[in-house]
Amino acid sequence: MRYLIRRLVLFVAALLGLSLLVFVTLRILPGDVASVMAGTNATPARVAALRSQMGLDRSYPQQYADWLSGLMHGNMGVSAISGRSVSSQVGSHAAITMPLIVLSLIVALGVGVPLGCQAVLAANSRVRGVLHILAIVGGAVPALWGGLLLIMLFGRGVGLVGILPSQGFPDAGWRNPVAALASLILPAIATGLVAGGAIMRYTRACLISMEDSDAVAMAMACGMSRRQAMLGVGLRLSAAQLVSVAGLTFAQMVTGVMVVESLFNLPGLGAMLIGDVGNRDLVAVQSELFLLAAFFLLLGVLVDMLHHALDPRLGEQSEERG
Amino acid sequence: MAKSNGAYGTSDATEPDTTTQPPHATEDTRANTGANADTNASTDASLNAHAKQRKKRHDGHRPIIWVVAALVIVALVACIAIVNSHSRKTATPTQSDSIAIGIKLAPVSLDIRNQSGSALEQLLIGNVYEALVSRNSNNEVEPGLAKSWTISNDGLTYTFKLNEHMNFSNGDTLDATDVAWSINQLKSKHYYNSDQVENLKQANAPDATTVKLTLSQPDANMLWYLSGRPGLVFDKDAHYDAKTTAVGSGPYLVKSFDSSSKLVLQANPKYWGSAHKARTNTVTVRFLPDDNAALNALTSGDVQVLSPVNANMTGKLKSSGKYTVKANDGSDKFVLAFNCTGAKTSDKRIRQAIRYAINHKEIIASRGGVDAALGGPIPSVDPGYEDLTGLYPYDPAKAKSLMQQAGYSTSHPLKLTLTYATSIYGSELGEQLRSQLSRIGIDLSINSVEFSTWLQDVHTNGDYDLSLVDHAESHDFYKWTQPDYYYHYDNPQVQALYAKALAATDDEDSASYLKQAARIVSEDAPADWLFAYRVSVAQAKGVTGFPSRLTQSVLPLWKVTYTPAQA
Repeated sequence: MRYLIRRLVLFVAALLGLSLLVFVTLRILPGDVASVMAGTNATPARVAALRSQMGLDRSYPQQYADWLSGLMHGNMGVSAISGRSVSSQVGSHAAITMPLIVLSLIVALGVGVPLGCQAVLAANSRVRGVLHILAIVGGAVPALWGGLLLIMLFGRGVGLVGILPSQGFPDAGWRNPVAALASLILPAIATGLVAGGAIMRYTRACLISMEDSDAVAMAMACGMSRRQAMLGVGLRLSAAQLVSVAGLTFAQMVTGVMVVESLFNLPGLGAMLIGDVGNRDLVAVQSELFLLAAFFLLLGVLVDMLHHALDPRLGEQSEERG
Repeated sequence: MAKSNGAYGTSDATEPDTTTQPPHATEDTRANTGANADTNASTDASLNAHAKQRKKRHDGHRPIIWVVAALVIVALVACIAIVNSHSRKTATPTQSDSIAIGIKLAPVSLDIRNQSGSALEQLLIGNVYEALVSRNSNNEVEPGLAKSWTISNDGLTYTFKLNEHMNFSNGDTLDATDVAWSINQLKSKHYYNSDQVENLKQANAPDATTVKLTLSQPDANMLWYLSGRPGLVFDKDAHYDAKTTAVGSGPYLVKSFDSSSKLVLQANPKYWGSAHKARTNTVTVRFLPDDNAALNALTSGDVQVLSPVNANMTGKLKSSGKYTVKANDGSDKFVLAFNCTGAKTSDKRIRQAIRYAINHKEIIASRGGVDAALGGPIPSVDPGYEDLTGLYPYDPAKAKSLMQQAGYSTSHPLKLTLTYATSIYGSELGEQLRSQLSRIGIDLSINSVEFSTWLQDVHTNGDYDLSLVDHAESHDFYKWTQPDYYYHYDNPQVQALYAKALAATDDEDSASYLKQAARIVSEDAPADWLFAYRVSVAQAKGVTGFPSRLTQSVLPLWKVTYTPAQA
């Protein structure tokens, strides 16, 4: 319990620090939304008029205070350019990015863990070698290239076996779940395979470190085969570490899928952030970054807690050290 | 969890756990393997043999897993195939009631009164909003909401006769009061491009179908400007969020808009006119900033028209026989501006040397060879155009000697910086310029910035040596008459000629003054016009009515239709 409270206090403090960091770094960027809105034909008078209309002539501390008090009330602000509330903007883009990440993670784990186990357990040393090379190559292939290859193979209208849509998100969105899911399959495979390579290597390394552990030896002494002991005991003991890796992979993917999103023309979080930074829509960007960072932090807390649940040995230790 | 405060040392604390865990785990495994559990009660000696035996059994189970996996995949593929064939069935051999068009740059909002960007004009004017007068694809003014007009002899009073029985998409009547209100709002709120109609004093509505505009001085461009943003007519009684929706009088209404993916236009059922009635019910405009993704969207049938398509990628499209690709003239000018008051570029010899040193043919060829050479500030679609490419032909020897006069050579190069948005215009252009200029003793460094940074540093603050940007607007010569614009070009002779061109009531006189002014500007070399960007448009067979000129600024979609080929 104390651990949980401590973790939450840290979480809130981190959020506050984060908000300040985000606010300040964005103010260092040259250019502002008023001159972007006014464009190349604008007279200085018009830019000034827009600035005051949008409240950009307020002092920085005041802008920060206004933003923070909005955040406290759960008000993320309104994009100066699109006129939409930031929360709805983030929501509509996250509805593409988050399912894509989850799908990618399923692909990554579905490929990485079994093959990682095989890379240690396969009877044939050649098979092990090939799998190890596969893990390294898989992790090294850029998702962009893999995505292009997938489009050339399976993209509807362009691919050799053109069965899957490769461009954009269906108009109806998730109201048409089959089409929505279909549009995410290829990008999920593209990012999933790359992350799968990394997960495969982690799984392999974890299992190898378990190979000589007392726990596995004990299990075998109790009558398990090596394979059983490795999968039943070794993998179970590695689970905590693998969950951490999966959590990190998830966090990485939030930015990692951006390239693939742009290749498949999916309007996800990446496109939103790049667009808003480009337009210097700072109120929107700072809230979006804040939400993303809060999400990362939350993910960190969750992974930690899961880690604890999976590895009871950590519970007492970290409570001591805190 | 909280039981052990200091009862165990930390290193001890882990030990009991590790030793107790394996039996647990073993039990789990036994439970899982079920029937095989009894075979596990074995001695150390037989462990190895068992292991092999169990491996074989394990292998025996595998095919089931593979079969299940294969079934799942087959089911998935079948589902997708069904969805596919279903969507194909809906496509009839007759004219489709929808068409999708891919464009490159998305408007960030629909607020056409405040937000800059040519994409807004391109998509909304003539489709969703209508102006007092309209503009055809030859850049000429035509009747719009006004069916006719007269201009007083002194050029100071414009009287427009409006069409009758007009209304907005929400059903509200559109009459002269809406027109006058829209124009007076533009002036008082300084909406986008209000400075173009500086000479417009006031708008009045003497009766429901008459609008009278009073000018402070004659302006030959007035009608043309009124066909663009300054002439748009809005519903004075409607309250709506102009950033996300639109209430206009055009043949289409905005069904949905998301700047990161698409704008969906639907035929306006309450459209007042008959001449421009929409022929296709739904027009989806997709925003495809990535050239490869755009091409994929076209070939996979997600869009039927792509405007623009990268000219270097059109080879396959042409040879496939399924698409027509055509480049069309527009008003886009790629302007390499030299800061006329800059520390080094204020020297006219240096500016001239740069113009002589640039090999325009090479640049145009590397972009696919469709763009047109442009020697001056006025593009071919505007009045006052004249081919000025002969003023500064590619002549490296002359460039070198000019540089020598200015005191620089290849061994003692002049350092200059080119500031531009490489993310939009690509890094290749900058590299080409750097290598071409290095031959005459200019050490050009590229300052790659975001467009918003360019706006701040170059456009607003005027702090630069060389700048590159696409000035897409038509009729924008007046920027060369404003010394405070970022060109910092100040020539009283040009300003006087431009004033004469505006005051001229005869179009030809006006154009001839513009011609003279443009020639002087080009001779002074305040910039180099790298090329006039010509947009390549690719359309699938079966598409008709897509405009063939000026598609970057005027894109009337009412007559676009698509009849898919029978599959």
